[in-house]
Amino acid sequence: MDLFAISYGISKFIMDIVDFIFSGILGLIPEPVGPFFTGIGTWCASVGVVSFLAMILEALIIIIFALVNVIILIWIERKVLARVMDSRGPFYVGPLGFFQNVADGAKLFVKQIIKPAKSDKFGYQVAPIIFVASSFLILAAIPLSPGFGIKDGYGNAIPGGILFAFAVFAIAPFSILIAGWSENNKYTLIGGMRSAAQMMSYEIPMLLSVASVFLLAGSFSFEDVVNAQQDMWYAIPLFLGFLIFFICIIAEVERLPFDLPEAEAELVEGWTTEYSGMRFGFFMFTEYLRGYAGCGIATALFLGGWQGPSIIPDEIWFLSKAYIVFLVFIFVRAALPRIRTDQILDLGWKRLLPLAMINLVIAVALKTAGWF
Amino acid sequence: MADQTCGGQKTEKATLTGLVIKPIWATFVQTMRDTFAGRPNTVLYPKERLVLPDRYRGKHVLSFTRCIGCSQCVDICPNECMFMKKIEDPVLGKIERPGVDYARCLFCGLCVDICPTDAILETAEYELSSYDRDGMKYQPEDIRNDNYQVKEPKASVVLPSLDLDKCKGRGECAKVCPVRCITMAEVEKTGRKKPEIDLAACTSCGKCAEACPEKALEMKSRLIVMFERPLPKFTLASCTGCSLCMKGCPADAIYMMEMPGTEKKKADGTMTKAKKRAVFVLEKCVGCSRCARACKFKSIEMVPESQYKGGAGR
Repeated sequence: MDLFAISYGISKFIMDIVDFIFSGILGLIPEPVGPFFTGIGTWCASVGVVSFLAMILEALIIIIFALVNVIILIWIERKVLARVMDSRGPFYVGPLGFFQNVADGAKLFVKQIIKPAKSDKFGYQVAPIIFVASSFLILAAIPLSPGFGIKDGYGNAIPGGILFAFAVFAIAPFSILIAGWSENNKYTLIGGMRSAAQMMSYEIPMLLSVASVFLLAGSFSFEDVVNAQQDMWYAIPLFLGFLIFFICIIAEVERLPFDLPEAEAELVEGWTTEYSGMRFGFFMFTEYLRGYAGCGIATALFLGGWQGPSIIPDEIWFLSKAYIVFLVFIFVRAALPRIRTDQILDLGWKRLLPLAMINLVIAVALKTAGWF
Repeated sequence: MADQTCGGQKTEKATLTGLVIKPIWATFVQTMRDTFAGRPNTVLYPKERLVLPDRYRGKHVLSFTRCIGCSQCVDICPNECMFMKKIEDPVLGKIERPGVDYARCLFCGLCVDICPTDAILETAEYELSSYDRDGMKYQPEDIRNDNYQVKEPKASVVLPSLDLDKCKGRGECAKVCPVRCITMAEVEKTGRKKPEIDLAACTSCGKCAEACPEKALEMKSRLIVMFERPLPKFTLASCTGCSLCMKGCPADAIYMMEMPGTEKKKADGTMTKAKKRAVFVLEKCVGCSRCARACKFKSIEMVPESQYKGGAGR
């Protein structure tokens, strides 16, 4: 499925109609008004405008697709967690409780938004924006198939998409720290500080293990990395790196056992304590969006992305792999307790960093031997 | 870390296997087992229901035909949630039957235990919620069910019961009783005799009922209630013969008898009717103490069965 071609076709169709209205109908008005409208119509139908519109349309489709996926993921998480706990999970809204998330969202929408009196107003307002916007930005880089991804105006994929994705991924702790500080609450502040401390520990091993993938693939772009895994997934030669990356991506998307900033048992609701209504809803939703993005990145980097027998479409391959990764996330969440702040630093610096270095050595050895 | 002990047992070593892989694997295995071989613990309430035990104590059910309106259930209720309501029934006439206020009921089941006729029972129905408090107050008609099967009937014993209206005091029953539990006792000031049956010694042989020429004795099945029942103690001196106790008695255990020799001369020379007194047939008494409450002259007093030693008025 070529998303860019489809959206280009749609925007071309719309702009042709606009062109027809302006230059075909309004252009019949005598001078000096008619040629002016004709000019507008011609400009609208030009390649640049149509490409711009196609890009916006593309982004819209990607975001809607991601949101639908996130709703499905939340539903899967609630159902699987319920099965682990021997209960049923959401049940009443929709078939098997599928629309429970929509109902919860509607509930959050009608809730009052309460601002803490002594909060830092600017930080309080801007933190959710940074968090949500940066998380949506990750999706721009992740293609579900060679066709189904954000392209520039001429149909070319983004070079260095992986670097962009990780750069944007790393913005979130900053907004968490801002939120935790500006809410003027000890729990939120502790949560924000924990987020910063956690970021110190997981970011370096994760990027080192990603570096080994770059080394083998020889490219920063998702498409090249996935195409390089045609014969063998990188999870097999770089198993160590995959494990490190998996642990670190759980920490990155702040899920158990690494959800230190939002530790319900210790800090009321962590750094989101003082946010109410749909702001809190957006935070929760965005956390799952980040989970979706993390699963997608893990799939693309280590599990062969959309590679697979071509009976099934590429996008379905990608999504099914990402869903399986998410299922593992859920099982990890259900099985393991939350670890302490000092333990995650210990884990990151003393265990994962040396292992990531070893992994990098393995990658270099493989590349030097000429096997990849 | 390895030497840490917890409750005398050595804790698992803090290793990668023990802390990470084992829990994940155990969770996975358990979830698969639950998903494919078992069922969730959650019960989808309106669609599925738990199977309740037979002795579950829920909403009451009342048989109007078996109930005698003795109000012992109302008396024993610890939360005072039951009440008697006067009803005009097309078949049964003017009756009094108990209703239940479920806002106060604690479902202790004492009313069921004390019922002398198994008329009030508890069902397994538990959906009693309502939008207002009046809705929680169930009238006798709401809990009426005459056809309800008694799942666990109380133990019963067949005993002779005396209809004093028919009895002429001939004493045939006393002669025929093989265990000599029937004695003919004189009813004070009436000049008549009535059989007094020692129910503890009775063997339920039914010979007295066969021997009675007036058919005043009848063998009737009677439930054994596991409560010590009070019995009425009668003081003849303050009885005015108003027969309120007789009207109030749900078990028809009280009869009014004339006392000959109490007629008085009126001013115009005619004689008044003889004064009446209450006579108790204690074999039939259910111990409800309605007579004691009905009596306005404090002539009847309820005494626990164990402290009851004969007494005036027998």
